[in-house]
Amino acid sequence: MSGPQQDVSSLPELYPRQPGSWWASWRLIIHNLRTHRFLILQLVRVNILTQFKRSFIGLSWLFIIPIFSVIIWILLNGAGVVEPGDTGIPYPAYVLLSTSIWGFFSEIYKSTSTLISNNGKMLIMTHFPHEVLIAERIIVHLIRFSIPFAINLLVLLYFGVSFSWIALLFPLTLLPLLLIGTTLGLISSLLRVVAVDISNLMDEGIRLLMFLTPIVYAPKIQIGWLSEIVRYNPMTYLIGFSRDVLTQGIFFEWENYAICSLGVLLLFFLSVRIFRAAEPRILERLINI
Amino acid sequence: MERKCLLSVRGLSKKFSKDIKYNMYYGIQDLLADSLGRKRADRESLRKKEFWALKDITFDLHEGEILGFVGANGSGKTTLMRIISDIYPNEIGNICGPAQQKITAIFALRTGMQLLFTGRENIYIRGAMYGMTKEQLDAKMDFIEEFSELGDKLDRPFGNYSSGMRARLSYSIAIATDPDIFIIDEALAVGDSIFKAKCYDHLKAYVKQPGKAVLFVSNNIRKVLMVASRVAVMESGQIVHDSTNVREALNFYIRNCLKHLDEDQIQLQLKKVQEYDL
Repeated sequence: MSGPQQDVSSLPELYPRQPGSWWASWRLIIHNLRTHRFLILQLVRVNILTQFKRSFIGLSWLFIIPIFSVIIWILLNGAGVVEPGDTGIPYPAYVLLSTSIWGFFSEIYKSTSTLISNNGKMLIMTHFPHEVLIAERIIVHLIRFSIPFAINLLVLLYFGVSFSWIALLFPLTLLPLLLIGTTLGLISSLLRVVAVDISNLMDEGIRLLMFLTPIVYAPKIQIGWLSEIVRYNPMTYLIGFSRDVLTQGIFFEWENYAICSLGVLLLFFLSVRIFRAAEPRILERLINI
Repeated sequence: MERKCLLSVRGLSKKFSKDIKYNMYYGIQDLLADSLGRKRADRESLRKKEFWALKDITFDLHEGEILGFVGANGSGKTTLMRIISDIYPNEIGNICGPAQQKITAIFALRTGMQLLFTGRENIYIRGAMYGMTKEQLDAKMDFIEEFSELGDKLDRPFGNYSSGMRARLSYSIAIATDPDIFIIDEALAVGDSIFKAKCYDHLKAYVKQPGKAVLFVSNNIRKVLMVASRVAVMESGQIVHDSTNVREALNFYIRNCLKHLDEDQIQLQLKKVQEYDL
């Protein structure tokens, strides 16, 4: 085909990258999630079913892992190795619930922290809005949490834990944990490409944090320095509040929970902003590693 | 009739780091700058251990064109295509084109395809990555089935496909997106000859439609000669030759690759290349 060519000076920039306001940025995120909801569905399907297709017992692992962890703690308790303090409910039930809630936080961290490194090849070969991957990770996480948690609730009933109407608020109380896990995971996913030492330290820090949070012992534990750390550890309130809402129908240290939740919300907005701003340039550095 | 410009690239440059430690160090610097919303002063100059992967790239792509990009390995072809596809951010220079234009790029045929899922399931997965909805993919299913000629093999796991079958399916999904600019970066290097010939015929027919053009990246001179209507030769991140005389441009490319040799050796190598590739 030949002929006179169009004047190109009037053509608009295809990929303008002016920093927008927070509101404009979130509007774009929501628009991208809406327009790519079929992709999110496909990625969730792939994520869940891939594991299922590779294993003979497939999704049963979602039930087996929490049962193993509770058996370990029952055995340790029976042997008198741990002195948990006053937990309010039977100790195995306490540990089962607390580890589930901790897992809710730590698993979303683990999942989002490998978002770039695990999908590197796909990200540098295909163009699509990457907030889709964050949404996919969160949805998969919620599915993976819900199934074993439903089993855990039956175990709690078996241990004699009774639930009040306030327990219905439990899913909502988990939101700050979901947000802080995602926040830390997104920052870690960026650092995993350019500052792997820091992301490794973050991984270890999360593991250490579990022992500094009342998961296998009660918040009122009286062991000198540990009591002080527990008191200033925000996770004490984020986890304790959810746990007590479910099992005792009370709002554990609600003022501290509210302050921590507000802080988490601000950090989450900030981390998404940082992720969106920095991720494209981080991505081009993937090729050299 | 005036030919519509689909892509106008002006002064595009991109730099990378040669050294892994510096790559990470600059990555942290850029991460902090981006996080704080600061513009880096050294954006347009090289920092220590950096090099220009692309330098001052300028070209226009008009409807009806199949623009072949050739160049030695590492000359910047794929980096350029990734920036045009908005996979890498464009920091220096401008990429302009009609708003709402659809660009589909295939870099590697297996990317995004799931080995444990059937070909048909992969149509939905890969199609969704190209931004298509379920309704759009359902409407294109017959076209994909027909173009790929995979028949009932579409219901087998993708992992069991031969490289030729994978090429058939991946190419068919990509072209089903009906892009305005279709970027093929070495993606037709595999596959059987009959299907490749079908693709080349299809590409030539495709760009005859109004508002369509193709960027075709390959180091296979014969393929470029068969399909391209114009050739850009890249060397060390720059376009060193751009011509609608495809044969002349390809000769320039070969001679440019051999420029370190004396004339006799060039003639000898040219003869060999022509025997094997042209």
